Amino acid sequence: MATFFSALFQWLSGLFLSKTAEIAIVGLQASGKTSFVNVIGSGQWSEDVVPTVGFIFRKVRKGNVTLKIWDVAGQPKFRSMWERYCHGVDAIVFIIDSADPEKFNTARFELHQLLGQPALNGVPLLVLGNKNDLEGHVPVKDLIRDLQLDKITDRPVSCYSCSVKNQHNLDICLQWLAGRSH
Amino acid sequence: MSFAMAFSKKEDESGLSSYYNNKTTIIQEARVFNESPISARKCRALLTRIVYLLYVGETFSAQEATTLFFGTTKLFQHKDSALRQAVYLAIKELATTAEDVIMVTASIMKDMQPNSEVIYRPNAIRALCRIIDPSMAQGVERFFKAAIVDRNPSIASAALVSAYHLYPHAKDVVKRWVNEAQEAVNAKSGSYFGATVTGGSFFGGGSQSAAQTVPSSSNITQYHALGLLYLIRQQDRMAVTKMIQQLGGGKSGAGTTLKNAMALCMLIRYAAKVMEEDPNVQRQMIDLLEGWLRHKSDMVNFEAARVICEMKNVTAAQLTKSIAVMQLFLSSPKPVLKFAATRTLAALALSHPTSVAVCNVDLESLITDTNRSVATYAITTLLKTGNEASVDRLIKQITGFMSEISDEFKVIIVEAIRSLCLKFPAKHAAMLTFLSGVLRDEGGYDFKRAVVEAIFDMIKFIGESKEQALSHLCEFIEDCEFTKLSVRILHLLGIEGPKSSQPQKYIRFIYNRVVLENAAVRSAAVASMAKFGVNSTDEKLNKSIVVLLNRCLDDIDDEVRDRAAMYLKVLKSQTLVDSYIKEDSVLSLAALESKLVSYVKDPSSSTQAFDVSTIPKISRAQAALESARPSTLDTIGVPAARQAAAAPPPPSAAETQSAYAEQLAAVPSFASYGVILNSSAKPVPLTESETEYQVTCVKHIFKEHVVFQFNVSNTLPDTVLEQVTMAMQTEDTGLTQEFVLPIASLSAATSPGIAYVSFTRDAPDDYATATFQCTLQFVSKELDPSTGEPEAEGYEDEYQTEEVELSAGGDYIVPSYVQFGAEWDRLKGGPSATETFGLGTAVESLKAACDSIIEVLNMEPLGGTEVPTSTSVHTLQLSGLVTGGGGKVLVRCRMTFSQGVGVTLELGVRAEKQDVCQLVVNAVGG
Repeated sequence: MATFFSALFQWLSGLFLSKTAEIAIVGLQASGKTSFVNVIGSGQWSEDVVPTVGFIFRKVRKGNVTLKIWDVAGQPKFRSMWERYCHGVDAIVFIIDSADPEKFNTARFELHQLLGQPALNGVPLLVLGNKNDLEGHVPVKDLIRDLQLDKITDRPVSCYSCSVKNQHNLDICLQWLAGRSH
Repeated sequence: MSFAMAFSKKEDESGLSSYYNNKTTIIQEARVFNESPISARKCRALLTRIVYLLYVGETFSAQEATTLFFGTTKLFQHKDSALRQAVYLAIKELATTAEDVIMVTASIMKDMQPNSEVIYRPNAIRALCRIIDPSMAQGVERFFKAAIVDRNPSIASAALVSAYHLYPHAKDVVKRWVNEAQEAVNAKSGSYFGATVTGGSFFGGGSQSAAQTVPSSSNITQYHALGLLYLIRQQDRMAVTKMIQQLGGGKSGAGTTLKNAMALCMLIRYAAKVMEEDPNVQRQMIDLLEGWLRHKSDMVNFEAARVICEMKNVTAAQLTKSIAVMQLFLSSPKPVLKFAATRTLAALALSHPTSVAVCNVDLESLITDTNRSVATYAITTLLKTGNEASVDRLIKQITGFMSEISDEFKVIIVEAIRSLCLKFPAKHAAMLTFLSGVLRDEGGYDFKRAVVEAIFDMIKFIGESKEQALSHLCEFIEDCEFTKLSVRILHLLGIEGPKSSQPQKYIRFIYNRVVLENAAVRSAAVASMAKFGVNSTDEKLNKSIVVLLNRCLDDIDDEVRDRAAMYLKVLKSQTLVDSYIKEDSVLSLAALESKLVSYVKDPSSSTQAFDVSTIPKISRAQAALESARPSTLDTIGVPAARQAAAAPPPPSAAETQSAYAEQLAAVPSFASYGVILNSSAKPVPLTESETEYQVTCVKHIFKEHVVFQFNVSNTLPDTVLEQVTMAMQTEDTGLTQEFVLPIASLSAATSPGIAYVSFTRDAPDDYATATFQCTLQFVSKELDPSTGEPEAEGYEDEYQTEEVELSAGGDYIVPSYVQFGAEWDRLKGGPSATETFGLGTAVESLKAACDSIIEVLNMEPLGGTEVPTSTSVHTLQLSGLVTGGGGKVLVRCRMTFSQGVGVTLELGVRAEKQDVCQLVVNAVGG
């Protein structure tokens, strides 16, 4: 009986108490940001995605949570503009290509540069090591070390390994993001 | 004053709004863009205020604009269509100042997609072309091609207009859209409206309702598409001609697919342009134009008629139909049509008064039109077409409403009166009265100047009006607020006053200026008075002038005092008078400028004072010709835009001379040669103008050298010439070839190139003359058509050109103006030469003899002696300057002509050096 009521309650709260979260997705170019949005938005994965110019805004509804997503371009000329779109969001998602360790240094630099902005103090961070379906991808532990995530102390930080292509681990990501909604 | 009023009025009105619509306030309020959730109403209001501020001319710094710009991009998350449209408007305005505008590209492109809402798409397309950078044009090509042929006219128009704006930055990409643009021009009209209605109901709507996007049925898309097509094809005259014929729809114009009147007007303008450039198509174009004269739209009728009227060399017969159309417009109730017709007729009346005269009756009725602009044009047209009898009546009419029209129209009327004076000199009294009357009216500088110039013209061309006109001008300067005009009038009084029957009466007016005016006017008045003193024979008057000038010695202004002192001194001696006041020649300003430029540029010459005597002189009449304002008859009534579009004036003599000096200065070998003494006035062609290699020659005389500059053009696109030199051979002595500077490589693209040949003058004081055989020598190489690179192997070739002559006239002697009689007497004791020649029967008349002597010697004929008055005896007087400090040279040619013997010439030369005399005699004898 109690389970029935709690299920009913959940259903009702899904109807009336919808929540929103605004998130910004950043990361170096070709790490899979736009693909990530496409997959969680419509479940469609495509091999060729045009490099984003500027940013794309999307609204994604999952259960009773509406995600407003700023998918910002990752090419060098756009990196200085990440900050503008991370202003006032509920979470920042940093996506990295875990099968391309050569770019880790650049990624670490850009990430810490962004987090160093005073206006972004305390905004929760989710780091995703994408493309774990590929041979030779770096596991989460090494990723945390290489990106020096342990040095970030002023905010909640999570790091997952995932594959947008195989939709591996994406449910955890969504759960995490839903946890930031209000 | 009116400005101040307008300003205070604005202040009054603003009040609250000056705070509300303030830049700082708005930037602060831009916080609403970042609020969550977004209030569409607030954001829309703020965007409106931003656009309003930009519209009234407020400027944002790059940083402010960037902040606002990024603020607006946050609004892409909101679905409200009105807000989104406002965002696009703001983006378009901010895009020019903000940085990193490229950020919104992806968001905008998302809105451009065919599956996004129709209401966004035109706005998105228009905004995209402002933020895109040319390298990305290729990436959006697919969207644009689809959008141009979209069935929704708003989308198609937006894409076409954006393509038009993109074209200058990404020519190659936009050129590929020509087929789509063509399709848009030919699109069937009206079909869209029905299609949406059914489409809307068929798909069941959603948020996209047909009511939201009311399609326009004006076919404006055709206008935009035509503009783009022309932009792409404008360089290709054949394609434009073909396009006009296709779209023109045959002789009657009935078969045209163009439904939009503006598109047709545009097509007519293109037709006019094609016709002007290529007279061959004139016939067919006129047929098309005449078809459009019967089109159902007034706009098209007018445009076609106007184009025919403005056509060059239009015949009276061709004009008949279009004037008939104009005539209909004249009696139309619409002021716009009346204005357009009168304006065109006013311009046409200049060249074809008789053709316009058929409209006189209709124009008469427009004189009293309540629209003063129409009335003004009607009257000016009538003034040009009317006959002498109607002039008085028209002038009376004009006087009636002169005070009611703006300065601009007053000027038009005054200009018309001015040309009328010259046409009907008998009516000068009435017109002068009119002009003096309007001179007393209120008016700005342009208007007053037009009146004063009209009166100047009357003084110049209509002798009887002179005294009357001068006294009107005297009256005018009594109360004239424009210094420039006062100075001009005083100058004219100084010239014309002394010749009048009663010079004394002007003195009072002039002296009043000395007492009452500012320094510029005072000094002009002093100069003017002095002219009276010099030119008058009346002793008493001369004495009074001296007294008045003495008073001016106490003036507080330097210039006035100096002038007075100088003139007092000059008046005491007749020789000074001749050289300073009666002097009729002025320095040639073009030559003076180029000499001064080379003097300043050459540091070694600064040890000596600048020598003015080397500058040729020209008479005042010539100087007036050089700086002549465009003839009155050419400028009246022609719409202002036409004048602005006129080609820039050809370079003056001074400009070409200093251009040569710059070219030569760039060659280090010539650095030690010093100042150029003389360069040929214009390049002499050594080849026909249609040959494969074209050569022109310019000669530069230095103190110890002569440099021949050959401008060589290679017109063959598939060959390149290397090591291009000019071989010069002569049998004459006095010049030794020093070196040649070849052109390393010359292709059609790099033409013309310059090759130099330098000679040393063996005796710099002699005037060496010579004739050179010239041969162009070069290595010819074919260009590989696939790579555009020249082939390794070439062959040597020669090309014979015409001879180059170094002669007295043109190279050593330049024309200069003097008072022949006085100067001839002065040089009496100096070097001279006299020689008699029989020119033989080949010279058929005294005129022919004069022409050839002037050409050979390149000297200035004086006192109109270049035109013989008698057929048997004539004296030709010539004057020139010898370059390189040779001084003046005068030539007196006494000629007789008799049938059978031809012209016999006695050549008398007087100069400052004996060499020069010999040079001249040899030039004529040789």
